[in-house]
Amino acid sequence: MNKLYNKYEKEILGILARYPAEGKRSAVMPLLFLAQRETGYVPTEALSNIAEITGISETDVASIMGFYTLFHAEPAGRYRIQICTDLPCALRGSESYLEQICEKLGVKEGETTADGLFTVEAVKCLAACHRAPMFQLQGDGEIKYYEDQNVEITMQIVEEIRHKVAAEQEA
Amino acid sequence: MLKGLFTTLKIALEKPVTTQYPEQRRPVHTRFKGRHTLKRYENGLEKCIGCALCAAACPADAIFVEASENTDEERYSPGERYASTYEINMLRCIFCGFCEDSCPTEAIVLGDQYEMSFGDRHSSIYTKELLLEPVSGDAETTPQKTKPGEFTRSVPVMQDPQD
Amino acid sequence: MADMVTLKIDQQIVTVPAGTLIVNAARKAGINIPVFCYHPKMEPVGMCRMCLVEVGYPQRDRVTGELVKNEDGTTKISFAPKLETGCTTPVVEGMEVRTTTEKSNEGRKAILEFILTSHPLDCPICDKGGECALQDLTMLHGPGKSRFIYDDKKLFAKHVPLGEMILLDRERCIQCGLCVRFQHEVVDDPVLHFYQRGRSLEIRTYSEPGFDSIFSGNTTDICPVGALTTVDFHFAARPWEMERDPSICAHCAVGCNLIYNIRREAKSGGKTVIKRAMPRQNEFVNELWLCDKGRLGYHYVAAAERLTQPLLRKDEKLVPVSWEEAYQRVEDKLRAEQVRLVTLAGGRLTNEDLFNFHQLNQSQNGKAVLYSQMAGGDLTAQIGLGKGSNFSDMGKGTAILVVASDLHEEAPLWWLRVKQAAQRGAILIVANARPTRLDKFANHVLRYEYGQEAATINALLDGKGKDEFTQAAKAFSEAENGLVIYGSDGLGLNGSEQLVKACAKLLVERGYYGKPNNGLLAVWDKPNIQGAWDMGFHPDRNLKGTLREADVAMIAAADPAGDNPILAQALEETDFVIVFEMFMTETAKMADVVFPVQAQIEREGTYTSGERRVQRFDIVLPHIEGPKSDYQIAAQLGRLMGLSTEDRSPVLVMNKINEKVKGYQEITYSRLAERAEQWPLISRADSYYAGTGYENEYGVGIQISSSADRGEELSLGTLILVEPQEEVATGIKVVPVTALYDRGQLIQPSQILAKRLTPQVLLMHPVLSKKYQLQDGDQIKVKVAGNEIVSGVKLDADVPQDVALVARSNGFPISSPVFVQIQRLVPEPEA
Repeated sequence: MNKLYNKYEKEILGILARYPAEGKRSAVMPLLFLAQRETGYVPTEALSNIAEITGISETDVASIMGFYTLFHAEPAGRYRIQICTDLPCALRGSESYLEQICEKLGVKEGETTADGLFTVEAVKCLAACHRAPMFQLQGDGEIKYYEDQNVEITMQIVEEIRHKVAAEQEA
Repeated sequence: MLKGLFTTLKIALEKPVTTQYPEQRRPVHTRFKGRHTLKRYENGLEKCIGCALCAAACPADAIFVEASENTDEERYSPGERYASTYEINMLRCIFCGFCEDSCPTEAIVLGDQYEMSFGDRHSSIYTKELLLEPVSGDAETTPQKTKPGEFTRSVPVMQDPQD
Repeated sequence: MADMVTLKIDQQIVTVPAGTLIVNAARKAGINIPVFCYHPKMEPVGMCRMCLVEVGYPQRDRVTGELVKNEDGTTKISFAPKLETGCTTPVVEGMEVRTTTEKSNEGRKAILEFILTSHPLDCPICDKGGECALQDLTMLHGPGKSRFIYDDKKLFAKHVPLGEMILLDRERCIQCGLCVRFQHEVVDDPVLHFYQRGRSLEIRTYSEPGFDSIFSGNTTDICPVGALTTVDFHFAARPWEMERDPSICAHCAVGCNLIYNIRREAKSGGKTVIKRAMPRQNEFVNELWLCDKGRLGYHYVAAAERLTQPLLRKDEKLVPVSWEEAYQRVEDKLRAEQVRLVTLAGGRLTNEDLFNFHQLNQSQNGKAVLYSQMAGGDLTAQIGLGKGSNFSDMGKGTAILVVASDLHEEAPLWWLRVKQAAQRGAILIVANARPTRLDKFANHVLRYEYGQEAATINALLDGKGKDEFTQAAKAFSEAENGLVIYGSDGLGLNGSEQLVKACAKLLVERGYYGKPNNGLLAVWDKPNIQGAWDMGFHPDRNLKGTLREADVAMIAAADPAGDNPILAQALEETDFVIVFEMFMTETAKMADVVFPVQAQIEREGTYTSGERRVQRFDIVLPHIEGPKSDYQIAAQLGRLMGLSTEDRSPVLVMNKINEKVKGYQEITYSRLAERAEQWPLISRADSYYAGTGYENEYGVGIQISSSADRGEELSLGTLILVEPQEEVATGIKVVPVTALYDRGQLIQPSQILAKRLTPQVLLMHPVLSKKYQLQDGDQIKVKVAGNEIVSGVKLDADVPQDVALVARSNGFPISSPVFVQIQRLVPEPEA
């Protein structure tokens, strides 16, 4: 049928089986997750693939992807460090926290580190106001919360991940 | 009768109110409204964006504007739109200054010049070439070649009022 | 009759059908509630909150359920503490709505202040400036000042093209979603959608080509701001600078009402030119919409190569002569004894032209031939769509059978209206040899092989055959009203004749004729084919022979020589050819006399649409020096021949038509200009309600009655089913289909559509192409009627396996099914 389908045929059939045959469009969200799983973003080609599988237009698929902030249209680092900068977090210093993290990683907000591992993003409320500053780590098909942060703790986490990746590469 | 003669004599001895035009010219008032000029920015770009609001405001229907699109290769004014045709029929114009009031970019200004005469109706139509002021200093005339993204706004973006 | 509900809006008592929304109830009472995201032709969503009003409901006692009374005996109304959206709230009995109170004014002010937080101040350069809903409503209800900071305005790159026809300015978008909903709900081309959310929200298209919809221009009408504008009108003029002239679209048989905005301009050398085409409301024909072909396909009028002087053949050359000399020459020819005259007329002539031509032709006992490949105009005149029909009235209880027509391409507005009828509950049966865009909305889809059109309809009549046939036949026969729409998909004149007779038989047997919303509807390919039939012109199955045998051929608004080399050969054998043309066509080149004629927009006249609605159009542009109207020239010639033909005005010709032509008794120009009450009540003065389309001040036209409506005796002819001929010819069977964006004379000058024109290819099924070892994109040589044409190949699995398709008027001299030889062209090896 198309590239995405051929690659994940079994999984896609599994996803489609969850919905009635005339409601294939309902499968858009899981299919977008599937398309994003490997590269961390949804390439344009995947949009048309999903459109073909679900029988809705490519524009409609893109619209759904655009609406949800956890789908990404642009490639970024393997891990996204998403720091909440909404009002309660800001009151607890998330803005300077963001600045310092960027400084430590040597990037600006929205940029990716040279090793291609981390992208720092400022995002809206993640519903963890009472444990601000906090960030959410998105990568490897998972989402994790890290709360009550300061620069030192965060950099420790970053280093841990770097080690993990390095070990992976050696293996 | 005597009274009448007295008045005549009195006036005759007064200083004449007339001036010897054209040898002698009276200075115009600061708010005098004479011949129009189309202004430029300091960089040489035309202020007029061809919006035709002057034509809409004109009570004598003396202004005619046609707009075209700027490109970075051939730029006449900032933003997307410029006046490719701008004509004022000076025979129709009543020098009310509404065009100046309606202009969103202060491009059209009524100046001091009031000496205009025409041999025929055709030459009473002032074209854009006649109306546009010459570039000042070493600025380049239009059309200019500009860098992409440099002049993207037709109407200057409004700033917050500063205290 | 629906239940009526009485309510009070701003002290006015209003009675409207139950279920009416507050905005519409108010509109009926002449009270305007401002809206942005509401459109009377779409489902309400209540997104913009502009329509906030105070709504009060009659209070009821909780125990007894009785209405609570005030002390003075009136019903107690309890108002909701907050404002409600007028566009989503249906009216109820006893409701009271207040639209001008301080509370609702405050609501509007707040919403406008909010909408304007990120709206750019570029009204001076905005194409919508002057007819902008946001401008108008801000002037009426808006706050003078904003409490928000300017620095926070979103800045985007200015206009981004969404495809070649529409421009998007994201800064101006107020996120009302009208364009998105129009594309999804109304025309089912879901190629626009929101992307992201909140302040980052923008409109995007991912289709290829961008904004791939034939109705895209309508989104610029309904956009309440200048976010969507057409490339065609980009910086062309300010709306208030243009004059408006009503006209009728001449691209197909629907007869959409439109307004041409015109202006004199220096750019065009001081000439008056058309700046844009806008829809004119006619709820009986095109509602508020136009297809892009009608909207953008007017550029042919500015084409330079117009004929301006009569031409006469002298010493083998066409030389300009005076009108008198040309008339004289024609008169001499016509006065010769025993002259065999043929008049060949095309479907873009007006009724007046055709009437005069027919008079002239009749005086010489000539043969009046219509240049068309579709039959059945005599049948539509008898059992055509009954007087008083309107697609908008069709819904439950109506069965619509669409046969051999790709309505989306042949008549976009009918496609839209049939689709909507089906969505309202009409039974839709689509019978075609290949899938079409209408299938999605059909209750029954029937497939047949090309050549089996009439047999298919016959099978529906018998109700025998495959399962889906019996079901469709049952559904069709059980409806209250029925109509049959037939087109020319893959048909030549012979096939068309068979098909229409079968359709007529089906309608008569089922009793679906002679009443509103019943009958036969032909999807003619030209605007006035029905008028031509009514005026006495009929297509000729043996046009070649007729032309060959003629002594004198008068050819108006047709280019047989250019369309088909066989007809060109036939014309060479005609002794004397008189051509009435705007341009130097192939036929004109072969003529002995050429009369230059005016274009539709330079003259007055009437067209009879496929639904047999006679509609009048006015002079839009001043005509260029030289050419005359066809009716004038025909009348002059008639006078020379001693007839009393009318050449002074089309109005007077129409007065003669209504005396002589059946069905046209009630038609006069003044009656054609009568307006009708239409809903929605649109107006340019408050364009926020339904977009910038024009209200109809010029008349909605008159649908003429059919013979059946008048109770006359019918003569429908007998249907003799001819078995499709056994394949004697070799090669591929090629059938012609209609494409909206073909390469016809009227559409090619519109540069803006150039990229959307149908490619010049043979469309075939992969199975067929394999047989000839062809691949997608190959170049082939097609041998047809002694000619060789180079063409591309495009593979399409939707095409039946045994035939190839070509688009009409697209460079192929194919107007009916033929067998052709093809040969693959081997690309020359690159040096």
